[in-house]
Amino acid sequence: MLFSLRELVQWLGFATFEIFLHGLALLAFSVLLVLKVDGAAAALSWWIVFVPFFAADGLSTYFTTIVSVRLFQDGEKRLAVLRLFWILTILSLKFVFEMLLCQKLVEHTRELWYGLIMSPVFILLQLLMIRACRVN
Amino acid sequence: MRMSLAQRVLLTWLFTLLFLIMLVLKLDEKAPWNWFLIFIPVWIFDTILLVMLIVKMAGRCKSGFDPRNGSQNMKKKVWYLVAMLLKLAFCLALCAKLQRFTTMKLAYVFIPLWALLLGAMVELGYNIFYVRRD
Repeated sequence: MLFSLRELVQWLGFATFEIFLHGLALLAFSVLLVLKVDGAAAALSWWIVFVPFFAADGLSTYFTTIVSVRLFQDGEKRLAVLRLFWILTILSLKFVFEMLLCQKLVEHTRELWYGLIMSPVFILLQLLMIRACRVN
Repeated sequence: MRMSLAQRVLLTWLFTLLFLIMLVLKLDEKAPWNWFLIFIPVWIFDTILLVMLIVKMAGRCKSGFDPRNGSQNMKKKVWYLVAMLLKLAFCLALCAKLQRFTTMKLAYVFIPLWALLLGAMVELGYNIFYVRRD
């Protein structure tokens, strides 16, 4: 729509398959969220509701590791290290955000305010902006 | 006139940042605003995208346009328009639910989002598994 798939892949640094994986995770998460909130499966813990995201992060890390190892073997050492570093940064920020949000939903602690929970997302936005300038 | 990647990213980044800031203020109870006001950056961004899309589609009505060139392109644009409307429907329903204007179940609120995500997954899947084999 605003971005073509090629531009998205260039900008985010993820392969098309990884974007597909994260989309599927979002779909599964939304279904579990509805089941939990509407009371059809109210006994589900918030950690289980967030499992699709954690699984997508794990699979994405595994996929990235394999791609980086292959790139390294093919002699593209700089590209392999840069790709691994970028994807791991993005995935760890996403993972921290999910963990904090899940903890907040489980414990309802006042100390964990939403500004703090969202801080990895704000960092992620700045990183994506910097990368967009480089890609452009 | 086509915007460069940096301009499009800047546009997306700006509205996302504004929305997240307003969302945090609302969730932390620092801003007792209506949920429809919190979503203002989303409404503005969606309106810009819709106008851009409609202007592009209206370009087909210009004299001298050869319809044989763009039938595939037109299908894509129609899908994008439907996707935008589904996203707008989801955001409106979510706001109405959060503002307690309606007592409908959350499942009904999520139906447009599921339709949008399924469509996006089919398009992505086609790009991954079908186009590459060609």
